[in-house]
Amino acid sequence: MFNIKKHWILMLVAAMLVFGAFGCGEDAADPGDEAPVDENGEAPADFEGQVLIGIMVPTTGSEAADGTDMENAALLAVQEINAAGGVMGHELVTTTGDDGCDPSMATAAASQLVSEEVVALVGGYCSGATLPTLAIYGEAGIPFVIAASNATSLIDENPGWGFMINSTGLDQAATAVAQFEALGVETIGVIDSGDAYSADLKEQTIIQWEEAGYEIVADDTVQRGEVDFSAFVTTIMSTQPDGIYWTGYQAEGALLIRQLREGGYEGEIIVGDGSSAQELIDLAGDAAEGVYCTGPPLTDFLPAAQSFIEGYEANFPREPGAYAALMYDATNLLADAMERAGSFDSAEIRDALEATDGFEGLAGPVMFTEENTLARSNFVVLEAKDGRWSLAE
Amino acid sequence: MQQLFNGLLIGSFYGLVAIGYSMVYGIIKLLNFAHGDIYMIGAFSGLVFLSIVSPYIGAGWPALILGMLITMLLVGLLGVFIQRVAYRPMLKAPRLSILITALAVSMILYNTVMLLSAGRYRAFNVEISSESFYLGALRLTETRVVLIVAAFALMFIMHMFITKTMYGKAMRAIALDRDTCQLMGIDVYKIIALTFFVGSALAAAAGIMAGVYYGTIHFYMGFLIGLKAFTAAVIGGIGIIPGAMLGGLLLGLLEAFGTQIPFIGTQWKDVFSFAFLILFLIFKPNGLLGRSESERM
Repeated sequence: MFNIKKHWILMLVAAMLVFGAFGCGEDAADPGDEAPVDENGEAPADFEGQVLIGIMVPTTGSEAADGTDMENAALLAVQEINAAGGVMGHELVTTTGDDGCDPSMATAAASQLVSEEVVALVGGYCSGATLPTLAIYGEAGIPFVIAASNATSLIDENPGWGFMINSTGLDQAATAVAQFEALGVETIGVIDSGDAYSADLKEQTIIQWEEAGYEIVADDTVQRGEVDFSAFVTTIMSTQPDGIYWTGYQAEGALLIRQLREGGYEGEIIVGDGSSAQELIDLAGDAAEGVYCTGPPLTDFLPAAQSFIEGYEANFPREPGAYAALMYDATNLLADAMERAGSFDSAEIRDALEATDGFEGLAGPVMFTEENTLARSNFVVLEAKDGRWSLAE
Repeated sequence: MQQLFNGLLIGSFYGLVAIGYSMVYGIIKLLNFAHGDIYMIGAFSGLVFLSIVSPYIGAGWPALILGMLITMLLVGLLGVFIQRVAYRPMLKAPRLSILITALAVSMILYNTVMLLSAGRYRAFNVEISSESFYLGALRLTETRVVLIVAAFALMFIMHMFITKTMYGKAMRAIALDRDTCQLMGIDVYKIIALTFFVGSALAAAAGIMAGVYYGTIHFYMGFLIGLKAFTAAVIGGIGIIPGAMLGGLLLGLLEAFGTQIPFIGTQWKDVFSFAFLILFLIFKPNGLLGRSESERM
């Protein structure tokens, strides 16, 4: 009898430890907590009420770093808006849903955010995770400013409540093709990581590359979290393409670049915007030198972003990542749309977003097409030089 | 040819992790799900060690070998500690309870490392020449040659330990019949602790080698390799040490060549391995080297 009791207690302790570990995990991947929105060092202003907006980004999992940067950027924007008196006298408050860069986690996070009755949302990093949430927000009638996700598949699935402020995969594929042409490349190998975003960018690139009259000599897909690319490297060494386009994210991208160079590949390598974080270069080391990237407008290269960078680094103990500026824009755009709508009604905010005409963000003016995508291409070509990204000439 | 080498190298990592899996299963019938995380901890400990000593002795081979030995010792002790705290009180409990405990240990380990590493990928940078040379059609680097030699050397030492020493004999005896061993005067708990020490040390060695080979490490890297090591152990015959090594090498080769079949790209690699696991479980559940015997529950 005693024995059984003892084991129950042990099980209970084990269970508590597990949940404890989970709880801590969320805190850890969420340095945003270190700078609560209300504690900006000033006496709290008199607000007429609070407006809850949702943030949906991956704060755990392989993309936790970029997701956390984005969450921080949104918190910074909200903090600044509140310090300036809020939106029409109301204080903005946020709640974060962790999509984990995973479709099923994202669905759960979206349902949770909807049940918390947010009036609008910002976020969206991994297109694969953003995709299933579009229908959920559409059904609930909540406008969603999508900061980073930009697969073309999002356009078709958008019931009209999502607004994409990052250029789509079509624009990016065109930028990649133009860069390969400029480098004198005639045959390429393409590889993606199997998720909606990278598969889509790869497909668009294949279509545009073949339309331009060139050849694809290798085409492969790996799983997210793959560490071993030897099969692809072997294929590449036997087909010898002039260039390689990796459309996935930096964690796998860094390993791919290392293994390609170690395997003896000497051609051009271009990576997509999912790999545009500094982390790619840090992880790939010397192998990353001379790699190009069809990237988002990185914060470092935006003249308008200097004060944003200072504000960010003063509040958070890290550099803003690749998408922080877009997330900051998304949050400010949302506040701007609320002002223009003169209301906190979700449907009226949506109409105001649709009517956006040249909102000046850090990354340039925002205007939407009929499909709610950004009405211009914001992609740039970056080159890894001396361990940093810089604008390619 | 290149794929043969790649397969053997990856296979030897699987094999090293699988040995620990198989040993623990053999001796206390526990599928130690935390074993993959031990591998991950090994990689991180190695990285921490290297970053501490590299200002003094650099990050070349001497530092790496020293780091590997020290990490194997420390992680081996961690394995013993986990065994003492989490598994030993459960040894007489139903098997399912101890299995769940192993899952809990796994979660505790990787979440702890996630906290400490901020969930980021970490570069495992060593100062080893990456100059390559050719051996026939085979493209090699210094790193790859040393890694594969080290892996095979560890497996060989392990084999000798199990078959030639008193402790190895005791382990095999306990695997056969724990209670009788106790009656014969063998300190069963001590041998179980030793098993965990050796298994964890090997996993840690594999973790560091994977860190050197791939160049980046991550808190979740142990999950998949844990499953692969389990697969390798089953293929070779779970509980049988040479079987685990053989299973690991075979699995590495299977993956390397499976991905070369037309229309089976890299993304099907894991499907390939686990489909193989299922085939083995259906048609040869005792593995390649396992003797068929009726299941005693």
